[in-house]
Amino acid sequence: MNSIVISNLSKSYGKEKKVHVVKDISLAVLSGTVFGFIGPNGAGKTSTIKMLVGLSHPTHGSLSVLGGLPSDTAVRAKIGFMPESPTFYKYLTGEEFLDLVATLFGIESKKKRIDDVLHEVNLTHARHKKIRTYSKGMLQRLGLAQAIINNPEILFLDEPLDGLDALGRAEVKKIILALKKEGKTIFINTHILGDVEEICDTVGIVDEGELLVVDTPTNISLGHKSLEDAFVSLITKRREFKKN
Amino acid sequence: MFNNITAIAKNTFRETIRDRILLSAVFVIIGIILFTLFIGSISLEQSTRIIIDFSTTAIYALQVFVAIFIGSMLIYKEIEQKTLYLLLPKPVRRVEILIGKCLGLTLTTILVTLLSTSVLLAILFMRGDTAHTLAIVLSVFLSILESIILILISMLFSTITSPILAAVSTIVMFFVGHAENIFRFIFMTTDSTLLEIIMRGAYYILPNLEKFNTRNDIVYGTLPNTPTLLITIVYACIYATLLLFVTQTIFKKKDF
Repeated sequence: MNSIVISNLSKSYGKEKKVHVVKDISLAVLSGTVFGFIGPNGAGKTSTIKMLVGLSHPTHGSLSVLGGLPSDTAVRAKIGFMPESPTFYKYLTGEEFLDLVATLFGIESKKKRIDDVLHEVNLTHARHKKIRTYSKGMLQRLGLAQAIINNPEILFLDEPLDGLDALGRAEVKKIILALKKEGKTIFINTHILGDVEEICDTVGIVDEGELLVVDTPTNISLGHKSLEDAFVSLITKRREFKKN
Repeated sequence: MFNNITAIAKNTFRETIRDRILLSAVFVIIGIILFTLFIGSISLEQSTRIIIDFSTTAIYALQVFVAIFIGSMLIYKEIEQKTLYLLLPKPVRRVEILIGKCLGLTLTTILVTLLSTSVLLAILFMRGDTAHTLAIVLSVFLSILESIILILISMLFSTITSPILAAVSTIVMFFVGHAENIFRFIFMTTDSTLLEIIMRGAYYILPNLEKFNTRNDIVYGTLPNTPTLLITIVYACIYATLLLFVTQTIFKKKDF
């Protein structure tokens, strides 16, 4: 069964001089799998994820998340979203922020759930500290905590490993792998290819708003040294082809 | 719905009262109120009037500051710093976010008003003057209603423009709102039909903020009569609802 179905999805901004950031994308993500949406900066990854979580509306095409529309609050109750480099209310403590999120999700035993997720992302020690005192790694982990607090069926992660040092990346990766083990459907936007091979079951490569290929990392890497090598080769060939 | 609104209001209240800019403004206003003791002492037989006039104006300035400057940053900061990215994908409707934000900032306005008004009332009490208490309380209550309208105007502008432009536009609306009598005078005396239509339209469409001003009557012990008070409250409710409706219509369609 597919958790996410995208059909001919397009998004453009501007009225007179239109900028097409997503062009006619179609794909489906199987429930319980990890899908890596990879592409260079400005490829349309974030614009796609924004439409999937209800932050923006498609210009053309349709999408379905868990059989419904992201504009439906009942659908949004079952998803988790971590934006790229999340920013928080700096004068709140980590616990106060998670309390707000838990209330919005209508979680009944808030205290216990907050304790659990803080433990899961290793932030229990910083729960009473103001968010403005958090390090980049702590902010990323708080971002993950707020995304998983409702025990979502689908998790959307936008560049979850971006800007982290090796230690921070290992910590966040460990959490994502644990969620994968739990059987969650995970949709990851990233341009860090080394981690994709380790985490993702399926990969979609996007460039300049167009989806180029959807396959397993192993199949995409066939005939190449690595996924990164295959990715660079694919993007370069496409751009050269378009130029000519 | 109610849980979501109260959660967002609580969060906004916490965030704004911990903001150092607000704390500094409150200290300045309380300092001004205390300073009126000195000004009052050097004014011949007018000390009570001076203390009340200066202090109620200072309290009003604080309310307007919160409504215009913090209000215009409220939504814009959420969009610009992308904190909205953490709220909108949750099972919360966009109108609930707007109501929660407005309610939270209104609670902050009420708190700073209570603090500064308590200082004024304490000064008057120590001077043995309790005759003006009710008039002061009613006056600050009405200016809180005006603040709610200003907060909603700031939020409306901040959904469509930058905080500086939103603040400037709200300030313009603030002055226009206090100049309704001028519109009325023009449309009643002008010979030009076009000008009359424009002024009449402006008079009825733009907020009449002078309705909430009873500060000049406090020293005379004049209280607004009950029907006038009720009409003012109803007017504030209707105008706030209309502003909220327009803001949420724009906010609902907005892409982030």
